[in-house]
Amino acid sequence: MFKINLARLVLKEEVSSLVEEIEKLTKASVLIQDANRRAIKGEVPKEPAGKYPVMLNGKIIGWVCGSRNASVIASYLSQLAALEVQKRSLGRETLEKYKELTLLYDLSEKLSERLSPGEVAQLVIDETRKIIKGDDISVTLVNEETGLLDIFTAGGREPDPAADLGPLGFFVENVINTGKAEIVNDVLSDPRYGSSGGNINSLICSPLKVKDRVVGAINIASKKPVSYSAEDLKLLSALAFQAAADIENARLYNSLKETFLTTVLTLAETIEKRDPYTWGHTQRVTNYSAAIGKTLGLSKLEIERLALAAMLHDIGKIGIRDSILLKKGKLTTEEFEEVKMHTIYAEEILEHIKHFKDIVPAVKHHHERYDGTGYPERLRGENINVMARIISIADAFDAMTTDRPYRKRLLLDSALYELKNNAGTQFDPVMVEAFFSAYDSRNILPKVD
Amino acid sequence: MPSILIADDELHIRLLLEQTLEELEEEGVRLLFAADGHTTLEIIKKERPELVLLDVMMPVMSGFEVCHHIKNELQMDDVYIIMLTAKGQEFDKRRGKEAGADIYMTKPFNPDEILKKARDILGM
Repeated sequence: MFKINLARLVLKEEVSSLVEEIEKLTKASVLIQDANRRAIKGEVPKEPAGKYPVMLNGKIIGWVCGSRNASVIASYLSQLAALEVQKRSLGRETLEKYKELTLLYDLSEKLSERLSPGEVAQLVIDETRKIIKGDDISVTLVNEETGLLDIFTAGGREPDPAADLGPLGFFVENVINTGKAEIVNDVLSDPRYGSSGGNINSLICSPLKVKDRVVGAINIASKKPVSYSAEDLKLLSALAFQAAADIENARLYNSLKETFLTTVLTLAETIEKRDPYTWGHTQRVTNYSAAIGKTLGLSKLEIERLALAAMLHDIGKIGIRDSILLKKGKLTTEEFEEVKMHTIYAEEILEHIKHFKDIVPAVKHHHERYDGTGYPERLRGENINVMARIISIADAFDAMTTDRPYRKRLLLDSALYELKNNAGTQFDPVMVEAFFSAYDSRNILPKVD
Repeated sequence: MPSILIADDELHIRLLLEQTLEELEEEGVRLLFAADGHTTLEIIKKERPELVLLDVMMPVMSGFEVCHHIKNELQMDDVYIIMLTAKGQEFDKRRGKEAGADIYMTKPFNPDEILKKARDILGM
């Protein structure tokens, strides 16, 4: 129940002015006191005074002292107090609902970034912890391939193979099979557990449902004897509803992304196959670029785009004739001019595809040089797209460490020396430094036969 | 007695904020209310509240105008202003800063965050 502070109520402008109005009309003043007889408003009346209690739910919360009007004012204040309680309880309920809403809003906000199902599960665990008490919160997802249950516990993005629901497994499986949420407040005495209840006292478990399909469950267990309420379950169900949709979305998105990347890689490798000398080049340049990007502290999303650009860096070679692309001897000036065109062809191919638009500069400019003497646009320094500057090093390093039709590969040390030696002329020195730091921490592993 | 002004034209937001700050009221903070920009300005001038929770979209005078008036023309730097506006109006953030708002929060606001911030500002 809410405590009502009579003083605060009486001192509200609309209340005090009404009391004064009554005093004026009845030509008599009153003294209003709190339950402990401390004065709130007015002075001790001169006329012989009666005392009338201000009541709330059978309790005295204050007094009105005065003559003929005092009882009216006392009952008016009693009514106001009752209304105030009603308003407060509505207010509190509304606030609880609002908090619930903010919670779901926060969750969907965070989820608008592209995440893996495991990362979504982590978020769900974190958000659940904020609203419901429990020692052990886990998300169980039905693995679509194996049909088994993957268990995600706090702090892990991948399913925890060591996690074991133990005696709770029965309940979680039951929730997943029936699609119905469950609260068990006294686990030990539940006959379904028998004697294997372990040290868990209470649990609450809600299925994760997408339409009518159960994709998993959120499970909260408490070692301390707590009493989970229907209100807790309602809150958890609201969260589960949102979480299930997001986990499903993450799954779909990730499988779509996988399909997409496989398609792109296949495409890149098809082009690569025309030139047997460059076998594996695309994959290695992609790996090296990603390693450099990671060292530079790029975000997960940026590294994904960088890897995609690296995968497609030579896509424009599709437009170069075999007689030039596969030529064993030195290229003539005209032939070299044609080879240079692969950066322009790449732009022409990629710019039409919405999903590739942002990586066009990275692909187009991977042959620019830091000193401004590269191609196709002779861009200089930081004017060159940052991803292009990364791919440029990865590309050069792989070219130097593999055999080409017109030359044998360099020794590893010579290749490394070349990179260092060309920092500031061909390459961005910052990127070269990042390359070496990735190399030293064995994140760049060159091809060795 | 320290005071906080809740300025929003929507009754339900005023009620929510009142409920959010209820425990401060128990501790002696006076809560004031205004439902339009003009009233907001009058109350600030008269009561000089320590904190104003100021909605951007209000009739008569917008939150920006009120804020600009308070901070620039009246130079009332001791009045801490939290601007509140609907999510997705990110460009408002810059206008809010220009108008002199101390901080900026988006709706749906997090009640616990507002309460904590109010406690910090009032030193309670």
